[in-house]
Amino acid sequence: MKGERLVELTVNGRGRAVRATPEATLLTVLRDELTLTGAKRGCNQGVCGACTVLVDGRAVRSCLSLALNVVGQEITTIEGLAQSGRLLPLQQSLLSLGAVQCGFCMSGMLVSAFALLQRSPNPTRDETRAALSGNLCRCSGYSKIVDAVCNVGEVTVP
Amino acid sequence: MEFFFPANITEAISLLAERDGARCLAGGATLVAMMNAGLVEPFRLVSLRGFSELGGINVLSDSTVRLGAMTRHAETANSTLLKDGQRVLSAAAGKIANPPVRNMGTIGGSLAFADPAADYLPALMTLDAVIELAAQGSTRRLSIRDLIVDWYTTALEPGEIITAIEVPPAPRGSVGIFEKLERTAGDYAIVSIACVLAFEKGICSTARIAVGACGPGPVRIRELEAKLEGTRAEPDAFLAIGESLAAECGPVDDVRATADYRRLVIPRLVAKAATHARAALGAQS
Repeated sequence: MKGERLVELTVNGRGRAVRATPEATLLTVLRDELTLTGAKRGCNQGVCGACTVLVDGRAVRSCLSLALNVVGQEITTIEGLAQSGRLLPLQQSLLSLGAVQCGFCMSGMLVSAFALLQRSPNPTRDETRAALSGNLCRCSGYSKIVDAVCNVGEVTVP
Repeated sequence: MEFFFPANITEAISLLAERDGARCLAGGATLVAMMNAGLVEPFRLVSLRGFSELGGINVLSDSTVRLGAMTRHAETANSTLLKDGQRVLSAAAGKIANPPVRNMGTIGGSLAFADPAADYLPALMTLDAVIELAAQGSTRRLSIRDLIVDWYTTALEPGEIITAIEVPPAPRGSVGIFEKLERTAGDYAIVSIACVLAFEKGICSTARIAVGACGPGPVRIRELEAKLEGTRAEPDAFLAIGESLAAECGPVDDVRATADYRRLVIPRLVAKAATHARAALGAQS
């Protein structure tokens, strides 16, 4: 491809060599080059939130980030949240409360909720709704997702 | 497409000036979305991320707050350096899109795109903000009023970039309120109202009101504001000012609302902003 470059991205704590054109979004590179398909391509316009990842600890849209522009930054995807196969309390809470239906929004929802809990471990419902306002879910109706995020402190991880 | 990652602003500007079709990449929240949609195909992208000169919020010696063009919306929304009526800017920043987009988008990028519905525009208008621009070998300063020249059009010349936004101090004891009517949280405004108000012993000492999303640029009319100053500025007076503002705006029909609906809403939203300002002032005293 024209203008393709070989660069190293730091993804989930590991240096990964990837080929990317200047137009390539981080989302495309994560999914097509690194087969990290957790982040989803919904709108590709930054509206739906399904592609949300962390860059230097902040939730951002991977569809609006160019791969060449995040060289040198720490990228964390949904695949990097659970450590050694153990679910986070947040993930367990979503599971226990049945907050996941089709699951398409869930990677982005989890990453946004994770970023919220990092700065506010016991969020109120309003805080949670505001933090997840950029993540669209078209089937669950949000209530259980908000419940799961707010109740994360009460979850016991098996 | 070419992609450059310059190490300083001088290098960035010369890369931009070097050829037509070069664009600078700030937060990407709008530019990359437009590229994804096939609406723009820049010949060259110049990233502004690799250096710190365009970042950060600082207070100057005269209490002017200076925001680097690369300041993200989230940083502006959370800044404690904006005081009194300057808070209208942080309030507007906090209403832009949603948290992940606020972690990406920058104030310079938003101004350069000049979407008439952008939340910053009426807020900066009420604050008489000054925009600093730089080109090869020169810098200049424009008022926010002079920056926005038409729908999605700024006074930026080719090869020129926005480097900073300066917000003069607002009158001590003033409050800044941003009211946004939106279809759903995070959408572009149907109508937005920015207002900076101060009262002394029940008499309005400062009134600044700007309307956003109702024409090519924000609408603010000093002569109307002056009618409020020196009076008790009762709620009905704000409705009347709002009606005069609505008459001066040039809204259009779009997917969000009709022009008629926008004109109907403007006075009510001005009155609502004034009510919230009164409440905030009451809470302060």
